[in-house]
Amino acid sequence: MITLGHYLFVSAILFVMGVLGIFINRKNIIIILMAIELILLSVNLNLVAFSAYLHDMVGQIFAMFVLTVAAGEAAIGLAILVIYFRGRGTIAVEDANRMKG
Amino acid sequence: MSYLDSLALTAPELILSLGATFLMLVAAWGGDKATRTISWGAVALFAAAGASLAGPAGHGGSAFFGLYTADAFGAFAKSLIYLAAAICVIIAPRWFEVNERNRAEYPVLILLAATGMGMMVSATDLLTLYVGLELNSLASYVLASMAQKDGRAAEAGLKYFVLGALASGILLYGISLLYGFTGSTHYVDIAHEMGGSAGMGALFGMVFVLAGLSFKVSAVPFHMWTPDVYEGAPTPVTCLFASAPKVAAMALLVRVSMVALGPATHQWQQIIAFAALASIILGAAGAIGQTNIKRLLAYSSINNVGFMLIGLAAGTREGVAAVLFYLTVYVVTVLGSFLAVLQLRDRQGKPVEAIAALAGLSQSRKGLAAALAVFMFSLAGIPPLFGFWPKLLVFQAAIDAHLLPLAIIGFVASVIGAFYYIKIVKIMYFDDAADMISPDNGLVERWTMALAAMLLVVGYVLIPWLGAASAQATGALF
Amino acid sequence: MIQALVFLPLIAAIIAGLGGRWIGKIAAKSITTGALFASCALAWPIFISFLNGTASSHVAHVLNFIHSGALNVDWALRVDALTAVMLVVVTTVSALVHLYSWGYMAEDESQPRFFAYLSLFTFAMLMLVTADSLVQMFFGWEGVGLASYLLIGFWYHKPSAGAAAIKAFIVNRVGDFGFSLGIFGCFLVFGTVSIPKILEMTPGMAGATIGFLGMRVDVITLLCILLFIGACGKSAQLGLHTWLPDAMEGPTPVSALIHAATMVTAGVFMVCRLSPLFAASPTASSVVTYVGAATAFFAATVGTTQTDIKRVIAYSTCSQLGYMFFAAGVGAYNAAMFHLFTHAFFKALLFLGAGAVIHAMHHEQDMRFYGGLRKKIPFTFAAMIAGTLAITGVGIAGLFGFAGFYSKDAIIEATYASNLPAGGFAFVVSVVAALLTSFYSWRLIFLTFFGKARWSGSEHIQHAAHGHDAHGNDDHHHPTPYADMHDDGTAGYLPHEAPFSMLIPLLVLTMGAVFSGFIFTGNFIDPEAGSRFWQGSIAFNAGLMDAREHVPWLVSKSATIVMLIGLFTAWWAYIRKPDVPAKFTAQFSMLYQFLLNKWYFDELYDLIFVRPAMWIGRLLWHRGDEKTIDRFGPNGVAEIVGMGSRLAVRFQSGYLATYALVMLLGLCAAVSWFVFGGAK
Repeated sequence: MITLGHYLFVSAILFVMGVLGIFINRKNIIIILMAIELILLSVNLNLVAFSAYLHDMVGQIFAMFVLTVAAGEAAIGLAILVIYFRGRGTIAVEDANRMKG
Repeated sequence: MSYLDSLALTAPELILSLGATFLMLVAAWGGDKATRTISWGAVALFAAAGASLAGPAGHGGSAFFGLYTADAFGAFAKSLIYLAAAICVIIAPRWFEVNERNRAEYPVLILLAATGMGMMVSATDLLTLYVGLELNSLASYVLASMAQKDGRAAEAGLKYFVLGALASGILLYGISLLYGFTGSTHYVDIAHEMGGSAGMGALFGMVFVLAGLSFKVSAVPFHMWTPDVYEGAPTPVTCLFASAPKVAAMALLVRVSMVALGPATHQWQQIIAFAALASIILGAAGAIGQTNIKRLLAYSSINNVGFMLIGLAAGTREGVAAVLFYLTVYVVTVLGSFLAVLQLRDRQGKPVEAIAALAGLSQSRKGLAAALAVFMFSLAGIPPLFGFWPKLLVFQAAIDAHLLPLAIIGFVASVIGAFYYIKIVKIMYFDDAADMISPDNGLVERWTMALAAMLLVVGYVLIPWLGAASAQATGALF
Repeated sequence: MIQALVFLPLIAAIIAGLGGRWIGKIAAKSITTGALFASCALAWPIFISFLNGTASSHVAHVLNFIHSGALNVDWALRVDALTAVMLVVVTTVSALVHLYSWGYMAEDESQPRFFAYLSLFTFAMLMLVTADSLVQMFFGWEGVGLASYLLIGFWYHKPSAGAAAIKAFIVNRVGDFGFSLGIFGCFLVFGTVSIPKILEMTPGMAGATIGFLGMRVDVITLLCILLFIGACGKSAQLGLHTWLPDAMEGPTPVSALIHAATMVTAGVFMVCRLSPLFAASPTASSVVTYVGAATAFFAATVGTTQTDIKRVIAYSTCSQLGYMFFAAGVGAYNAAMFHLFTHAFFKALLFLGAGAVIHAMHHEQDMRFYGGLRKKIPFTFAAMIAGTLAITGVGIAGLFGFAGFYSKDAIIEATYASNLPAGGFAFVVSVVAALLTSFYSWRLIFLTFFGKARWSGSEHIQHAAHGHDAHGNDDHHHPTPYADMHDDGTAGYLPHEAPFSMLIPLLVLTMGAVFSGFIFTGNFIDPEAGSRFWQGSIAFNAGLMDAREHVPWLVSKSATIVMLIGLFTAWWAYIRKPDVPAKFTAQFSMLYQFLLNKWYFDELYDLIFVRPAMWIGRLLWHRGDEKTIDRFGPNGVAEIVGMGSRLAVRFQSGYLATYALVMLLGLCAAVSWFVFGGAK
């Protein structure tokens, strides 16, 4: 029997993976975008699981909104990445430190 | 309540979003040449949205089954937001003409961001909160990276985007936990559940939500993006980031903390108090040794947010009123400061951001130096100036709420903070002239800046009025 | 009217002080002098109406000053006989000094400032004498102290002037501490600071005691002594007198106005204003008597050895103030006020005369370099003679006498007639002091105006005679007809009479010195006319005044006798046998040195107070401040802030990963806070 706890556990693992993906990854900004998607996925899993558990539709509607916003977010992220690549000729994470201090 | 009634209550958002859509078409049709027309159109929309607050949109109550609330609190914050956003629209064309090319989409993006901010402050449901926040954020990411010639802008946009996405992920995760453990996304229902036996799950959710929102107000330790983004973004955009979204995010944080999480005040009070102190101290310490004035103002905004959080940490009516009071004065000061920064140009007309270039400004441009000195003294909280009173109010609220150590440490840190503000005045007035700043014209900017400076000098006559207004706005939450 | 009288000088001071730069010297001088003459013209009718008995005391309310709990202070101008006397003294002398300063300060750069200070002083003094409450009196008290400080240090580029100003200020603080304690005490005991109310309640407080410094003491005695300490400071009584001789560093008109005629008499005025309070405490009254008598004697002895013309007059002032105090101490408050009144005229005259001499002698103040000036400046000589006749009390009973004759005799007789132990002591002292007064006053005259010219020894004169004009503030331009050396002791220098603006005040004051005693003696002293005149504004002891008229013949003539002895001694020592003083000082060198060094008061204070204070100050400065507070305070904090700043900036590495890590750490910390305890 798969309980709510299992869903939450999986979701938490996904969340942590996403977060670690952002700051352990030293190579590629694309990977960061993927990690962000992973975080949003974990949230959606949470929302849907709770929705089912609570017999409440709001969670699923919320998940729809998150999906929509995530799509927009990804589009903007990629657009910024393109500008960045045009200017620098690289998308390596390490290089993005012109401003500091 | 019918949908039509609900729509009437959301009049400002309707005006702004429909107007933005229309102006976007104008932009697509007219290209960058139409920028000035679009800018003034956007300003007119802000004026209309602001005027609509006088109607039911200012105090009409709950709309769309509790997703949205039009009350005095929201109206107070929205007036500030629209004012700041309109000024950021007005000042942009001059900057873009000199440094880039005019961008017709800039006013549209600001309109959309402001729509999102309006939804943030009026949201009474986690769903509206999220949508408003993202609408604001997505527009902001684009705005931050608008300057294509300056390589720093893309980097700023990228950092802002990645960290912002991480923050909204954290926020969303918290929202999902809150929803799961309280069974609702509605503020009032959440409050009901929190008042009972708030489980560990709900508290987890609360911490994640507060962390996500702290990113928006750039409170320590979620402030890391601020200096880089402020430095890299085009100056008019930085001006926007420092003013309007701060109001929206702070008002949102206040509403969530007081309405949804109100019964759990004792749980979040400690966290907010810590964030407040950390922000004040780090904002003050980080600013020392900065050489770029935009970066310095970024640390200054972190510092100021810390003071506002002291008012929130008090968790009382007076504390919240003090936060609103503080926001008003802060917005005036920060707009004035950026208007002053915008006027700094070298002989080729390039914008100057180095603090060292301010040396001897008092001789080359007396009025500008005097205004900048007023802004700096006001930020430092030197008594007769307006900047002193909100600090006094938040300390008073903290003391009344028995948070004496918080008030004392905050007070001591504000002394440290005064150091770098006064250092700028010292550089302007006592150092040998660097002879880099050439006279610049720009009547609107100059007069707006002068007005802001005047307001800060004689602002104390407004204290009774502003105090009453912020108290009335606060009344809508309790 | 009284408002105009009091506030005209203030308005003039503000205009001249703040606007002097724009309106110019002449306008500033005209406005201040004009305002003072107007005040003076308003003051005399008030005084005369009290002499006639047509006026009665009244209070003119100005505004509410402090209203806090039980403390209720109104700004009000009180006019009664006592105030009227002071109004006349203050405005007359001040107006004349303003006029005199036109000539005396003619070559000074910052005349508007000087006149503004003078007018400011006058305003503060008027505030003091019209005070209806102790707080308002304290305001005036501090106001005159401030003006005095500013005027002593008027030539601030002279280090000695700055030091003298600071000394006056600090010594006065000691007295003011007592005065303010007295005011606090009055408020504590009586619940009010209004003078009439305090005096009204005084009889009910007789015999009450209060805890002070762990002892039970009589309330009224304690209050009186505290207030008297204030009076001692302001009026330069023994112990707190050290500032007055040094204050002579100020311009001479200042010495005449502030340090002779008006401010230094504020203490006497205060004791008289509160006379019912003092009269209720025999103990305090004897303290006043003893201190006053000791001062009179001390200052007179020192006065005999000084060589600086202004210092001689300064010690003389100190001594005469002592007279006033012991007169008040034995209950003859009216006699004290009478002496204050006459003294104001003849002492101002002496100072202004001395100023004219100094002016003539090119700012040389040492009498050893004077001599033979009688024929060179005859008008000044005549005025000084009149002043000296007044101070030494020359006169024939029942016929005519100079001003001091009436007032000083009244005091001497009253001390004898009082039949108090302290009174007997005061009587002996007053007679001895009168002898010394006569001696040093005539010594001054003989050294200055008689004998041979001894000017060539003076550097000032040599400078003037040889055309070296560039020395300090006193750059006068005198014609130098003879450029070579002369054998007659004049060094080729020609003293010159002062301008009219200086001579007119001398003339007016000469009138005062000659006639003020004769004219007003009835109203001030007479048992019957006096009680009508004073109208209860002071504790008028008619019995004592009556007894005074029936003292033995020898007592009433004692002053005249010792005056003649003093005159003869001075004549013998300085005209007949000029080598006597040198022989005397050689024989009694210990005594001479003792007197010359003013009883070593300054040295004593230096040893007891100044050096330990400096030592403690240095300790706190180096050890306490620099090595402790600064090191761990400002400097230490700055160090920590700098370190914190570097740390904060190091985290701001520019790398996305670091930023995300910091955010995550913050989140983890907040979550841990909930999991492991913190929140309940």
